Amino acid sequence: MKKIITLAIFAAIILQSCTNVDEVVYDKYASKDFYSSSTGADVALASVYAQIPGNWNGIGYAGADNGWYDVNSMSTDEQVVPHRTTGDWELTFAQMYLREWLPDHSQINNTWNWLYKSVYNANLAVDLLQKANADPAKIAEAHVLRDFFYYLLIDDFGNVPFYTDNNITIDKLPQESRSVIFNYILTDLKDNIDKLSTVRGGVYYGRFNKWAGYALLAKLYLNAEVYTGTAMWTECMAACDVVTSGGFTLHTGALDASNPLGSKYFELFGDVCPNDETILAIYTTVDLVGRNIFTVRSLGGTDATVLFGYSGWNGSVIPEDYVDKFDNNDIRKHQFRYGSNPFGPQPAGFINYSLTVSNLDNPGAAPNEGARSQKFWPALPMNSGGASNDFPIYRYADIMLMKAECLVRTGDVASAKPLVDAIRVRAGLTGLAANPTLTDIYNERGFELSWEGHRREDMIRFGTFTLAHGLAPAVDDHYKLFPIPTSALNANTKLVQNPGY
Amino acid sequence: MKLKFLLFGILFMCAGFTGFAQEKFTVKSKVLDERKDPIPGVSVLEVGTHNGTSTDLKGNFVLKVASEKSVIKISFLGYQSVEVSANKLGTKVTLNEETSDLQEVVVVGYGTLRKKDVTGAVASVTNENLNQGATTNPLQQIAGKAAGVVITQTGSEPGTSPSIRIRGITSLIGGSDPLVVIDGIQGDLDFLNQIPPNEIESVDILKDASATAIYGSRGAAGVILVTTKKSEAGTSQIEYSSTVSVDMISKKLDFLTADQWRTQSALWNVPVSADHGSDTDWYGLLSKTGYTQNHSIAIAGGTTKFNYRASVAAILQDGVVINSNNQNYIGRFQATQKTLNDKLILTTSLSASTRQNTGSPSSIGRADFTSNLISNAYVSKPTDPVLNSNGTYFTDPNVFQYINPYAVAETVQNNQTVNNFFGSMKADLEITKGLTAGWFGSWRKLDGNSGYYLPASSTVQSAIDNSGIANINNWHEDEKLTDVSLNYKNTFGNHNIDAIAVYEWQKQTYNGNFTQMKDFINDNTTYNALQNGSFTSIVPGDISSYKNDRTLVSFLGRVNYSYLSRYLLTLSIRRDGSSVFGANHKWGDFPSASVAWRINDESFMKGLDFLNDLKIRAGYGVTGNQQGLYPQNSQQLVAAAGQTYFGGTQITNYAISQNGNADLKWETRAQTNIGLDFALFNSRVSGSVDVYSATTSNLLFNYTVPQPPYPYGSIVANVGSLLNEGVDFNLNLKVIQTKDFNFSLNGNLSLLKNKVETLSGSINGVPLNTNYVPWGTNSYLIVGQPVGTFNILQHLGKDANNNETVVDVNKDGIIDGGSTSPDRKIEGSALPTYTYAFSPVFTYKNFDLSMLFRGSGGNKIYNSVRASFSYFESLGKQNMLASAVPLGLFTSQYSSDLWLEDGSFLRFDNLILGYRFNTKGLKYISNLRLSLTATNLALFTKYTGIDPELNVNGANGFGSDGGIYPRTSTIAVGINVTLK
Repeated sequence: MKKIITLAIFAAIILQSCTNVDEVVYDKYASKDFYSSSTGADVALASVYAQIPGNWNGIGYAGADNGWYDVNSMSTDEQVVPHRTTGDWELTFAQMYLREWLPDHSQINNTWNWLYKSVYNANLAVDLLQKANADPAKIAEAHVLRDFFYYLLIDDFGNVPFYTDNNITIDKLPQESRSVIFNYILTDLKDNIDKLSTVRGGVYYGRFNKWAGYALLAKLYLNAEVYTGTAMWTECMAACDVVTSGGFTLHTGALDASNPLGSKYFELFGDVCPNDETILAIYTTVDLVGRNIFTVRSLGGTDATVLFGYSGWNGSVIPEDYVDKFDNNDIRKHQFRYGSNPFGPQPAGFINYSLTVSNLDNPGAAPNEGARSQKFWPALPMNSGGASNDFPIYRYADIMLMKAECLVRTGDVASAKPLVDAIRVRAGLTGLAANPTLTDIYNERGFELSWEGHRREDMIRFGTFTLAHGLAPAVDDHYKLFPIPTSALNANTKLVQNPGY
Repeated sequence: MKLKFLLFGILFMCAGFTGFAQEKFTVKSKVLDERKDPIPGVSVLEVGTHNGTSTDLKGNFVLKVASEKSVIKISFLGYQSVEVSANKLGTKVTLNEETSDLQEVVVVGYGTLRKKDVTGAVASVTNENLNQGATTNPLQQIAGKAAGVVITQTGSEPGTSPSIRIRGITSLIGGSDPLVVIDGIQGDLDFLNQIPPNEIESVDILKDASATAIYGSRGAAGVILVTTKKSEAGTSQIEYSSTVSVDMISKKLDFLTADQWRTQSALWNVPVSADHGSDTDWYGLLSKTGYTQNHSIAIAGGTTKFNYRASVAAILQDGVVINSNNQNYIGRFQATQKTLNDKLILTTSLSASTRQNTGSPSSIGRADFTSNLISNAYVSKPTDPVLNSNGTYFTDPNVFQYINPYAVAETVQNNQTVNNFFGSMKADLEITKGLTAGWFGSWRKLDGNSGYYLPASSTVQSAIDNSGIANINNWHEDEKLTDVSLNYKNTFGNHNIDAIAVYEWQKQTYNGNFTQMKDFINDNTTYNALQNGSFTSIVPGDISSYKNDRTLVSFLGRVNYSYLSRYLLTLSIRRDGSSVFGANHKWGDFPSASVAWRINDESFMKGLDFLNDLKIRAGYGVTGNQQGLYPQNSQQLVAAAGQTYFGGTQITNYAISQNGNADLKWETRAQTNIGLDFALFNSRVSGSVDVYSATTSNLLFNYTVPQPPYPYGSIVANVGSLLNEGVDFNLNLKVIQTKDFNFSLNGNLSLLKNKVETLSGSINGVPLNTNYVPWGTNSYLIVGQPVGTFNILQHLGKDANNNETVVDVNKDGIIDGGSTSPDRKIEGSALPTYTYAFSPVFTYKNFDLSMLFRGSGGNKIYNSVRASFSYFESLGKQNMLASAVPLGLFTSQYSSDLWLEDGSFLRFDNLILGYRFNTKGLKYISNLRLSLTATNLALFTKYTGIDPELNVNGANGFGSDGGIYPRTSTIAVGINVTLK
């Protein structure tokens, strides 16, 4: 009997090992183990921030191509990448500028996917930090990040799917109205921004501190009328005032011979965004953490080579009508490169770009047509795939103009004037001759914040977005929202497309 | 105990009977073949005794037998045996060659069967029917030899293997490659590179599920069984084979010459500055005549208890593109030892090979045209010089990402070494009569190493940016398999049983690492001293390593039963467990059943003498796919994802790397096959017809899932299904059979219909919608259509500016380029709907001449090369096809059907002219054959690219011609010598 039992046990052991097909993972972490560790929650929060720097394949807020930044910039009057008569450049950028996008537009699709992956990461961070009983400031930070992404979603797409718990399936995922999500963001922000750190820079560089949180809140209030039909100018001003109480000042616009563009003003777009004015920045080191392609993408091949030693892409240009609005004394005009005597260095072999762009798509523009941008004068390290300039998401000049706009809109034009004048004087101009009008505010925002990702929101708020400009004819109102991408509609048949598409 | 005595007694009696039988009648005769030539070594046996002899060199024999009524059996391999009583034996006996191949043994996986007993769809190609010439891979030897087996060679790059599809695209995730089994050792297609083409005895291809189900989880896409040559007991021989070929590019595209470029430049207002004043033939500069050599020596021999075969082979290729070559050296040893009174048979084999490859870069180019190196020669303008006046490589700074392809060919280092080892041991023990226990173990190891150096002087932008890029890649594969089996064979009267039960365990482990450095002070050390690069230039992705494995456990059983050798039944069942699936879905069951009826053996068929064979087969089986699925897909995993900036510092970022799917399970393929085998008029007309229908369900695929709520837009899941239906015809005609001259014609044809049945369904009860999945340039996966269906805008003409216009189908004034756009039109698929081959074979005395014609059609090819070199807006920075001139298009905003072409072709693929010397009477040489072979002699097609034979593997991106390595035509001389 004993023998039989021994034999049976032996057989069972053999049978067990002979039929074992469990999977062993050697080179990755199982997500449930990974995130349940003590460091997991912190890592989850950091990985939400990893979504923000621009990178290839349309990832990120700004810095690279084919994603959120291009969709929100090329659709305006401030920049476009024309198709060239040399056969260079796909039409996706010109379609944006000419408002010819369709629901399958790759950049719109990239933007949607990037935003919802960001929401997923933020949901994960909120969940894990709460479960880990983490520092309330960190939990609040994850909440504010999620609010930021939902704000970008309703701004571009209107009514969108809304969820805060990743354990949900598509059949239980509602498409919420723009105003419902707007109200959720407001409430959530108010619940969390005061818990955020008040530290500026240092370990909070590139992160949402209290001041960045209020800047985001101010942006929501500023555009409340667009989102809900109800203006919230007063609330916006209050939020701007909280930001101001953080001690921000305008960075100097002093002349600086050592700066390639002649002014310390351009330090705002350099390697590290200065703490005096910058509220929230994107940290970048090319090929390591994101990239900033804006100057290499814009300049012609040999022009970039003689200037920086790396070839340019001959891509984005500034439409003539936009350049023409700048005063010649405005140091901010030095961000443009065109003509035989361009701003900035003029090494042998630099390219003389013509200001006029004859055509964007068919047959396209000649190689040297169109003014170029050097606003983000490449910060090292750089290569022909981009440079290491950080990117300002929110800076104090923006807040000042937002405050000024609200004052004008609420009738207090006199109080708005010093705010606008301060920005003009920093740029080497004189103050306004009269109290600012809405047009003055709109134009000043164009001068100060060009290529910083705010233009589409501003044009929609000021009612200029659908009008004709440059080579783009007027379009109807449905273009104020981007279409929900075809692939998202196909994957979720319950989604309702925005009107007009 | 009693039984033993009884057995002993019978043995004693038998021995006694033969020993003491009186030999009082002497037979004397001569054995001749059909051509009246004597056959030496023919076995002559007195039936019922051990009394026998064999014929001498002149075919004569003398044998003393018991009486004039004794029956004499005269037999020789490859000839029909003769049995005749001694008194009726004349002075000459003629043996007829085996006209029927029904006695041939077919390898069916875990055993063999006589062809007449096969119930499934199995194609066999034996040694003498293999394609010959400068073959570098065994698949080239069976191209066109079996219906329903499509072998595609895309270009002739040294070291590349053809692709193979058996009865269509079976899976979308990978796993459409058949399983390769070489003498029982299982492997992937690359495994075939470890077999010298000369060492192959036969190739059997299992096509339908009733045949492949025995391989269960690895059999869904068909099975290729390769049997290598073995030595026979009592022989000793040395074989030498050699083939040397000259390889030439069979077709070049017609691009503008320098003068033509200048003419067009003037017409299209290209600035004069774009003309750099040269006259360069870039394609000519990068190409040359290639050579292929194939040598092998085999030694073989043995006694009755022991035999062995050892061989070494070298396959050396020097490609038609400069600096591309491949060397493959293979050594093999195989031995069989019988012991325990022949009851235990041990077979062992060892094989080692090393492959060394120098390749031209496969993916290089400008932003708007990335292809292999040779196709970049199309880009370069004929007016661009190769070198600057100072001797450096020319580049044009006005062209974005300009590449000088000659600089790339001359400066880039791209070397790879792959070492293979495999060994196996097999033991078969006969326990009692009919019952055999077996054990088999095999171990296959592969170690690969590659080095790549892209110097700044290559003119490639990324190399200039980084002052040189060097990397080293190592990869290791380790595949172990062991099985134990029990086999029972017996005959009870009219009932015949052959049954087997097997337990099998497999483990495959893959690991490797990659290291890259940049910024070198000079190019001298290339990739050989990575430490000479700059450590400050390391970015995520420059250093990585990986490891994954899979375990597969199987229990299988099969019964072959026949009654009167006329009614045949095969049943098999396999239960497989694989580690790659979700926790609750690891095991799958794969049954099969097939029947066959040999009608011509029925009494009611007796009168029909012209009918030599008529067999109907029907089978159904289920197989599974797990090999195409990368491990770890069922789990949600976290991996490093570059760097992020957090807390004032750059840190490693971690992110969820895939959507997990705990419900991931087996993809299954159910196939029904009905077949008919026939042989008529002394087997001079024979053939088979097979009709099949196969449905892949629980289709593994990277399905689109909604974002939100998934973090990724796709998930590996089992949702859709895929259908393949078709007919395979095979016909062999022996048209002329005379003493000196024979002519036969073999042909096959297969018709295939492929359809994506569903792509949508649900995961976990949650709806999932997938359709119009981009699957290549303008090709898609569309429900109800074949894989790779072209859904494309239609070319209309051109406008006043010479820009292309397309049809606005729904007339809304907008040309919508979206995948589901109403402006697109379905215009065929990238998958051929028919393939065929025919092969006339002539023999005259000692000469043999055979040809192979092979073709396919019904498919479309998107000619991306033509699209890339036909718009004159690009003339200032690149060359143009001559065919662009009559089109006169400046630019296009679209990618229209103007570039969609018919992919049908017929190729005169192989010609063999051989002469076999008469070695009878030679003391040392038993075989001597000289041959002249040619491949790719002619191509008939409407396709305008360099070759219509593109990859039809069904994977994402197939059906588009983005530039291939040139296809060669070869002429080879060969010699085969066998020494006694």
